[in-house]
Amino acid sequence: MNLDKLLETGDRCIFLEPPTCTANCPVHLEIIEFISEIEKGDFQKAYKLMEKKLPFHKIIGRICDHPCESVCVRNEAGGAISISELEKSVLEYGAAKPKKVWPVPKKKGKIAVVGSGLSGLTAAVDLDKKGYEIVLYEKTDRLGGRLWNHIGDSLKEKTLSEELKQVEDKGISIQFNRLIDENSLSDLLSEYDAVYLGASDWTAPLEIDKITFQVGELNLFAGGAMVTQNDSVIFSASSGRRAALSIERFLSKVSLTDSRDREGIFETPLKQDVSETDVLPKVEKQASVYSQEEAIQEAKRCIKCQCRKCMDGCNHLRKYDISPYAYIRQINHSERIILGTHYANKMINSCTECGLCQEECFLDISMKDVIQETRESMVERNKMPVSAHDFALKDMAFSNSSRFSLVRKQPSKEASKDLFYYPLISFSDYVKGLYHGTGKTEYLFYPGCQLPASYPDDIKGIYEYLVGHMKGDVGIYLGCCGAPADWAGRQDLMGENVAAIKKVWEEMERPTFILACSSCIRVFEKYLPEIKVRSLWDIYLEKGLPNKNWIKSPQTLSVHDACGTRENSELQESIRKIAESLGYTIEEMKYSKEKTKCCGYGGLVYYANREQADGFVAERIQESPHDILVYCTMCKDLFVSGGKRTYHLLDLIYPKDNEDGAVKKMPTLSERHQNRSLVKRSLLKEIWREDVDEPVPDDYQLVIPETVRQNMEDRYILLEDVQAVIKNAQEIRKRFYNPDSGDYLASLKIEHVTFWVQYAQEDDKFLIKSVYSHRMEIVEE
Amino acid sequence: MYQEKEDYQSWICDKCQKELELSKVKVRYLEGEFEVELLNCPTCHQVFVNESLALGKMLEVEQGLEDK
Ligand code: SF4
Ligand code: SF4
Ligand code: SF4
Ligand SMILES: [Zn+2]
Repeated sequence: MNLDKLLETGDRCIFLEPPTCTANCPVHLEIIEFISEIEKGDFQKAYKLMEKKLPFHKIIGRICDHPCESVCVRNEAGGAISISELEKSVLEYGAAKPKKVWPVPKKKGKIAVVGSGLSGLTAAVDLDKKGYEIVLYEKTDRLGGRLWNHIGDSLKEKTLSEELKQVEDKGISIQFNRLIDENSLSDLLSEYDAVYLGASDWTAPLEIDKITFQVGELNLFAGGAMVTQNDSVIFSASSGRRAALSIERFLSKVSLTDSRDREGIFETPLKQDVSETDVLPKVEKQASVYSQEEAIQEAKRCIKCQCRKCMDGCNHLRKYDISPYAYIRQINHSERIILGTHYANKMINSCTECGLCQEECFLDISMKDVIQETRESMVERNKMPVSAHDFALKDMAFSNSSRFSLVRKQPSKEASKDLFYYPLISFSDYVKGLYHGTGKTEYLFYPGCQLPASYPDDIKGIYEYLVGHMKGDVGIYLGCCGAPADWAGRQDLMGENVAAIKKVWEEMERPTFILACSSCIRVFEKYLPEIKVRSLWDIYLEKGLPNKNWIKSPQTLSVHDACGTRENSELQESIRKIAESLGYTIEEMKYSKEKTKCCGYGGLVYYANREQADGFVAERIQESPHDILVYCTMCKDLFVSGGKRTYHLLDLIYPKDNEDGAVKKMPTLSERHQNRSLVKRSLLKEIWREDVDEPVPDDYQLVIPETVRQNMEDRYILLEDVQAVIKNAQEIRKRFYNPDSGDYLASLKIEHVTFWVQYAQEDDKFLIKSVYSHRMEIVEE
Repeated sequence: MYQEKEDYQSWICDKCQKELELSKVKVRYLEGEFEVELLNCPTCHQVFVNESLALGKMLEVEQGLEDK
């Protein structure tokens, strides 16, 4: 895994970027934090934030010309936040006595500050705090310069005098009535280590650096109106502070220019979208200062601008309360350590790899790609916990074993006379009767593993439909596309699977695959781009639906697009058109089509973190008041188990009598296996007329109460596991016995998992009391 | 890991018809291997794990080792 590239991706994420207000505050008051404290009613904490960032906050807080407000994004939704009014209210209600600071020994150097306007005072105080000896030159007999022009309703003479007196109290030496001109300036330059020039009426031309405010190569630095070229109080204070920083760097002989691109005002990459923000009017003050309540109300209007687009859409990012920026740093950390803690594993296995974050991010940051790469790397480094994906991978192995896997060409014309022909009279568009076969397999119907597991009764019908409608022979191929291996980061297994599919494709002389599952479509696009594919749903739309006369009561549905089809707008349209042609009305959800969400199954999250999967389900199903229409069986399964009425498109195309498709509970994990085997056997028997072995009957007759059955689902325990445990126990009597209840308790280790079954025997029936498992291996000696 | 007395008191080894006893047993998961006191048959040594142990402490240790 290329970690430098990874970090680069993470650093592009602007989650931590400041809002426009802070970026346009020349001294960068942390406005969101400041306003949030006010909102909480904590004026004291808000005050501390002002104290921290604003030089002479009691003065500036009252007279600041607030460049932050004109850029506040609230401007477009009711009017800018009155940041300066909020500052005034904080000075009113949150002011605290200044902390006592111990004077620092002045040993670092001697600096002259010329002019005691706001910029000069700021430079003097900042440098004094840093341990420099300061001498302040003021041409008049009082400090403050043009600050005195601001006396008025806000800034009272008394406040200004008190604040200025504090400068004197600090022990900064002040030389009143000392006018500095060009001549005396050169004396200062030789007498002092550095000189700050903040005289607003300086006329002699100076060559001032725009970033460092250094004059030429001299030990002279300028600030105030000379550099700001305006009357702004806050720009003036900021220039004094920036010059002070330059002086400090100059005297410590470090680079003056390093990382200074964000001083003063700068452009933040954050572009807050307020198109969906409610318009709220400014809170008008009833007196000269906001009351506390008014301030709190005004604070509430602040949007607290921050890029959270991806997090707004993703239950996973919100559950872990993590931005892609921090997520990627966390992954980087886990990847770089060889030994030690890998505490991000569970989180990494809780992303559905649905791709919504990338769709939402204007910088195109894709956690899906990051997570996929990370999982592959974890597998390679042997850091992937087996338990996360074990069950899904076993399920995949099952589907590719002889118990399900099957490849057949379409039966010949002779062999299939009574199969695909019958009279043309029909109430539907399903016109059978014409043999389109050519003897060459033009199409291979590949229903995937989940559709046959959930809709075993419909596979044959779909196949017959395809044979009846497609030009050329239609073969069938049962198996698993490998999506579980892909999601689990198992590139080894994926490679094998892709090779196996390709082999069949070659042997069949490169037919077009007809796919019905959105995961298959995604996997084929990613790993088998050379194979031409068509979606079953597109074919239904093109050739007409088989059972048009079946339409039940029309209603309004919301389509939940499968996340694997995010970029497949053609398919998404087909689904809608099919539903509409069946008489249903579609109402789109906010997150749909290319912005669809994942049901919670994607990325195998359903197996790796059930709680996270449940989070996705719960969030999604409350996004529409209508029944939901899906076209992926796992989406249906999860939504129905979450309690939402959900149709699969097949429920509409092949409705069953006396059955409400929207609440149909999907088969259990064991039944999914059985259904797949059943599909294979019945296709072989009924279409290819082949003799098939009947399934081996179960060894034992089990009686399983509903609660135990549910536990088996939640614990990923199959009936065949239970059978195996009992068989082993019965045969070698390796089991425990409870004389009080008459129960037995037995265990058996199958691959990585030890299964336990507690049961009672009644004649030839086995009553199952409880079933559980663990992965920790007990070394019995 | 430990087992509560009432969880197991009535179970016996069916094969040997012996009451279970606590003794040190070796367990293994991923790169971790350690010894814990678990109930087992004093004769054939088959180890007893009840539901609350498997889904409680054992799972916790498994998850701890996985997430590390
Ligand atoms: S959308 Fe998400 S990933 Fe993209 S910049 Fe914003 S916070 Fe970062
Ligand atoms: S809404 Fe709040 S955070 Fe956003 S720019 Fe305005 S004051 Fe700043
Ligand atoms: S679950 Fe989807 S939206 Fe969330 S981080 Fe993963 S890929 Fe992005
Ligand atoms: Zn024994």
